[in-house]
Amino acid sequence: MLETRNLTKSFGPIHVTKGVSLKLEKGERRVILGPNGAGKTTLFNQLVGELTPDSGSIHLDGADVTALRVADRARLGLSRSYQKNTLFDGLTIGENLGLAAAVALGKGQSLWSDPLKSAEVRETVKEVAAQVDLAPYLDATVSAVSYGLRRQLEVGIALATRPKVILMDEPTSGVGPEMSKGFHRLLKALPRDLTILIIEHDMDLAFDVADTITVLNYGEVVFDGLPGAARDSQLLKDIYLGAWEDA
Amino acid sequence: MFAHTPLRLTTLCLLATLSLAYALFAGFFGLEILAEIAILAILVIALDLVAGFGGMVSLCHGALLGVGAYAFTVAANDAGLSAFPAMVLAVALSAGLAFVIGAVCARSIGIYFIMATLAFGQMAYSFVFQSPLFGGDDGLSGAPRPDLTAIGIDLTDSRAFAVYAIAMVALTYLVAAATLRSGLGRSLVGLHHNEKRLRALGLTVWRAKATAFAISGALAGLAGCLAAQHTQYISPGLLSWTVSGEALVVVILGGLGTLVGPIVGAVLFVVLKHEISSITPYWHAIVGLILIAVVMSRANGVFGFLEARMAARKPKPFLQKADADA
Repeated sequence: MLETRNLTKSFGPIHVTKGVSLKLEKGERRVILGPNGAGKTTLFNQLVGELTPDSGSIHLDGADVTALRVADRARLGLSRSYQKNTLFDGLTIGENLGLAAAVALGKGQSLWSDPLKSAEVRETVKEVAAQVDLAPYLDATVSAVSYGLRRQLEVGIALATRPKVILMDEPTSGVGPEMSKGFHRLLKALPRDLTILIIEHDMDLAFDVADTITVLNYGEVVFDGLPGAARDSQLLKDIYLGAWEDA
Repeated sequence: MFAHTPLRLTTLCLLATLSLAYALFAGFFGLEILAEIAILAILVIALDLVAGFGGMVSLCHGALLGVGAYAFTVAANDAGLSAFPAMVLAVALSAGLAFVIGAVCARSIGIYFIMATLAFGQMAYSFVFQSPLFGGDDGLSGAPRPDLTAIGIDLTDSRAFAVYAIAMVALTYLVAAATLRSGLGRSLVGLHHNEKRLRALGLTVWRAKATAFAISGALAGLAGCLAAQHTQYISPGLLSWTVSGEALVVVILGGLGTLVGPIVGAVLFVVLKHEISSITPYWHAIVGLILIAVVMSRANGVFGFLEARMAARKPKPFLQKADADA
């Protein structure tokens, strides 16, 4: 469903992505682990087209999308959420989800109808709001709700596009343990045919939801395998998991 | 997102009723002022559409108005078109130019967007100023008013022209409101809040901005047609950046991003201009002081202030809910 081949990116002398090759099957849930500065978000930025790789290629559903722009990749079914909330702050939660659904349905430039009133968009808003536990807050302005709800909305907006592949950049970043558990439930309840790639620092969540785990270090894939093997890997313990194992 | 609140609908009804009543009873000078208000109202609605809702603050709307005025006059006088086809042509030309400006400027934001639109506006001004086809510094005269005598309306009469101009404001408002309630309008508001996210969701940002700018340009072109019909003389001054600046002042005075506020702003601005200028030639300074007071009060213009006061009276259940969640 999503594949990278030998993806490489440098900022001057610093190699932020070194020959990264990944292959995600349809419905696979893969967690990307790695210490700060490992190149995880930079990899996401290249996958969605916000950064252009120096070399290598990106394939979505068999098609080479490396040269496509951000919006074109989104229209092909690649969606993402951000580590730092990237919402429509002055709008309500319902309008945020509705706008995302409308754009994804190709109604974002329509002149003859209000997409927020279309049955298709309203249905999507209702379904996604239920998926991310935001149904009671649809009329609330984003700036008036708590940080945790905004994190849920961050993921909700990405889901409202009905993607084939969703990239989630630290969805539980900055939320408390209770809300983090809520995210476990939320992620596990998502449709099984949705391919998910998650950057996550919450180890419980990572091992709970992952089918496979990829570990990046200094822009390089140093581990690619099953969660059980990741837990037992001495290399991972050395570069990343030590603190978690000791805890 | 744009919506018709009870306050907005009440204000619109009040403005329509008062302006029509005034048009029925006012003398010649009052009717001229009413037409001036209507033309300015059309221009500021056009500007608010892109600046207030889309965050695209433009300093070329004067030029778009001027292009409409010149295109109308040339099409009617030199090409021999009757008034309405000439208006359609002029509006289309303004829209086309605005689309190009919007498409080029779409990649810039903030002060860079403003400067780019200013450059386009000044280019248009210089072209018209220098070109003999457009009369150069002398301008052009003789723009006709539409002939509606077939339905018993004589637009050479000031009263009929004022009512016609008010009808055009209503038409402009309906077009702007319909745009804001369309998919494009929803995306335009989204772009103002978070362009990066909308792009990531699959929106072709430049096209959305350019289309919105074209619609706004068409409305500015309509204001130009009316300006030409009103004074029946046009000069390059219509395309000057000061016209754009004045329109921006009116939008801010009335309430940016409210669509109704700029109409209120146009009424206040023109009335203040005429009333104060009859007392002192330094009327710009007085209007400047009022604008500074409005900006310093942190209210979103006169109408924005009213909206904020009304909103403050309503309970906010979700704020309480959010507090409980936090």
